[in-house]
Amino acid sequence: MKIFSPVRIGWSLALILAILLPLVLGEYLTSILLLIAIWSIMAVSLNLLYGYTGQLSLGHSAFLGIGAYALGLIAVKLHIGFWPAFFASTAISGLAGFLIGIPALKLRGPYFVLVTLGFAAIVGVIVLAWVDFTGGANGLAGMPRPNPIPLPWGAELRFDSLRSMYYFTLFFLVLIAAICHRLVHSLIGRTFLAISHDENLAESLGINTMQKKLISFTISAMFSGVAGALYASYNVVISPDLAYFARGMDVLACLIVGGAGTMAGPIVGTFVMTAIPEGLQIVPYLKTLINGIILLLFIIFLPAGITGGFKAFFYRWGHAWKSGKGRNGIA
Amino acid sequence: MALLEVSNLSKAFGGLMAVSGLTFSVEQGQLVSIIGPNGAGKTTLFNLLTGIYRPSTGSIVFDGVDITGCKPYQSARHGIGRTFQRTMVFQAETVLDNVTIGQSLHVKTGVWAAIARTRGARREEEKVREKARAILAFVGLADAGERPAGNLTEEAQKRLSIAMVLATDPKLLLLDEPTGGVNLEEIGGLIELVKKVQRSGIAVCLIEHKMRMVMSMSDRIIVLNYGTNIAEGTPAEVASNKEVIKAYLGARRVA
Amino acid sequence: MLLASGLTIIFGILNVPNFAQGHLYMVAAYLGFYMVMSYATNYWLALVLATFALGILGLIVYFLVFYPIRNAPEVNLFVAAMALLMILEGGALYLFGTETKWFLIPWSRRVLTLGELSLQVQRLIVIAGTVVVMMALWVFIKKTALGAALEATAQHREGALLCGIKVSRISAMAFVVGTALAGIAGVLIGPAVLLMPTMGMGPLLVAFSAIIFGGLGSIAGAVLGALLLGVVESLASGYISATYSLIVVFGIMIVTLLFRPKGLLGREVWRP
Repeated sequence: MKIFSPVRIGWSLALILAILLPLVLGEYLTSILLLIAIWSIMAVSLNLLYGYTGQLSLGHSAFLGIGAYALGLIAVKLHIGFWPAFFASTAISGLAGFLIGIPALKLRGPYFVLVTLGFAAIVGVIVLAWVDFTGGANGLAGMPRPNPIPLPWGAELRFDSLRSMYYFTLFFLVLIAAICHRLVHSLIGRTFLAISHDENLAESLGINTMQKKLISFTISAMFSGVAGALYASYNVVISPDLAYFARGMDVLACLIVGGAGTMAGPIVGTFVMTAIPEGLQIVPYLKTLINGIILLLFIIFLPAGITGGFKAFFYRWGHAWKSGKGRNGIA
Repeated sequence: MALLEVSNLSKAFGGLMAVSGLTFSVEQGQLVSIIGPNGAGKTTLFNLLTGIYRPSTGSIVFDGVDITGCKPYQSARHGIGRTFQRTMVFQAETVLDNVTIGQSLHVKTGVWAAIARTRGARREEEKVREKARAILAFVGLADAGERPAGNLTEEAQKRLSIAMVLATDPKLLLLDEPTGGVNLEEIGGLIELVKKVQRSGIAVCLIEHKMRMVMSMSDRIIVLNYGTNIAEGTPAEVASNKEVIKAYLGARRVA
Repeated sequence: MLLASGLTIIFGILNVPNFAQGHLYMVAAYLGFYMVMSYATNYWLALVLATFALGILGLIVYFLVFYPIRNAPEVNLFVAAMALLMILEGGALYLFGTETKWFLIPWSRRVLTLGELSLQVQRLIVIAGTVVVMMALWVFIKKTALGAALEATAQHREGALLCGIKVSRISAMAFVVGTALAGIAGVLIGPAVLLMPTMGMGPLLVAFSAIIFGGLGSIAGAVLGALLLGVVESLASGYISATYSLIVVFGIMIVTLLFRPKGLLGREVWRP
């Protein structure tokens, strides 16, 4: 991995932009960026499971919701501070992922997809119906912002402003993306890829596929939970539509359009699918419909997504595009 | 004690007995060929040995351990490696990565270590790559390391699949028609490879149709027909066995 | 009883194990939407029309979406199905709004009382319809050449190809049959329940649970599973509540998965 490979430069530029933009953009645009960051986290987590381990889960909205509600309930009802609640909600999402993964991953192919969808639907229903616990359709209010972090030189990091929340979220996006990157390029990551290509072959080579899938699933769920908690913290209010299954599909659409199986894909996809509708001022109602249409077009004509299209484009022009991005797992 | 002992193995699919009452053994370092007409249950036998199917009756004891009914990945961990009739490699990965993946079951680095890229993790990665290169050299694919596996010729892919299985460090290698779909000129090379594997101490169980090859290579031959063992012995014994000749209807394929 | 819709959708799957999944997603959604179409049309006529319309829609979707990508990795098909689901859901929300609607027909309010049990007439019609459809399908699959071809293709594509069966045509047909069945289910069940854009999810999950519970790869199992689960769901609806009954059904499926992945009558589905 050369120090100045095109990929590294690209990432560095993106990071610099991400840090600097909010300083020049107004409130509205920064809030859009923040949302993009949050959904990117979820897309990245889904990418781990789908792009790199080949399991298509339609159920991650459940973990998003669990993360958000866990944070809310623990912080609000148990009167615990932000940080412990945050870690707890992360752990709970991970646990939920583990528990749901065990039966779900026993299935393959379409059956797995359906089960995850089922879980998502059920969690959505539970959140809506268990009014005493979750506040039902009215949702929960009073989500905490992170407590101020004392800095060594006597000042404090406060999180009251939009910008501070943005950087907070960005921090986690970078962290989670880095973790996924490391994971994917490790020996274990090779195993995930093997499973995504040919699960039977992987198993015949002695790989405990169930265990590996479960690991991927749990980590993926955990990170989606983080996204949920971050959303809750930012928005201060959460409602059951956060756990609605269609949201999981929206994020998946972002992922696939951006290009599953690459590190940049989920972020690029989320950016494109979020920024453009905002720019065109499209009514929220139509969002799922339009996402669906775009996704359909992509999956038929450009299944590798935007990043895939980019790569193909460069190959055709004979550039030595030594891609540092993992294998293109066109799942 | 034999490396592999199969007793009264049978497998029924609904009403069809694919394999019945099969009993045989394979000694350490032996090369045993399994032959028989199509549909005789040879591949089913391999599937039973590697845990893809659960036996209806009978037992499989490998290296002293009863592995009857274990899952496929477990049989690999016990030391049984297997290739498939239809060459199975990871087409999208490079040749080197294919063999790297083959070593996965030996990898000790856990998730946390992998994320943190500890020294141990990095060392293991290096070790695995080194071993992968060595195995590729062993099977004669030393130059192909960086190419996508899907670009290789059929024969090279067969070599690769053998390399992948060797990466799991098996004690017994089950090869399902390793020369199927390969040119006449290339068969010799593959035969040499199989002999080389056997010389390195790994027992080999071979399913093949090419009689000359089978006769010349095997220590022992087991003949299957309709799921049962109709003959067993050295090549000479089997060749003169009336039952065997009858089963094949006198059709002797020339390799 | 949502049993009926469950059964119908199941048959969509069993005909063509792969594609129909996407089918599932959509079809269930369809149910709701096309019901509102009964604008002062005679009910029975609407039934026929809807079935046709859905069948044609299925044909269109098949050729526009699934046929072009039939050779792509399996996952892509699921994604396409998912995309369709999104389109339908989004479209429905936009076109029909989020309020629930009542699908009224002349005998909607009538109830039949047999001793202690009182059943809505419509539900009886649903049950009767289901039986009729099931029998028709049974005859079709077992007795006609076309039906045999369908079964063959479902079990082993390559084998069917080798026998000279036009697999692509069969697949298209299976898909269309599945969609049409959904149409029937929709018009039959519509009057018995509230109409919402999301009404498809419930039956979908029940159907799916039924398949798992009854056993993968076995038609008889799926039917049996659907029957049993239908009963469970109705009981649960009565004693607990409608929403939780769904969870109960789903829970049964999960338990089955954990302890007996093959279901009641399942066969070994997983081949190398």
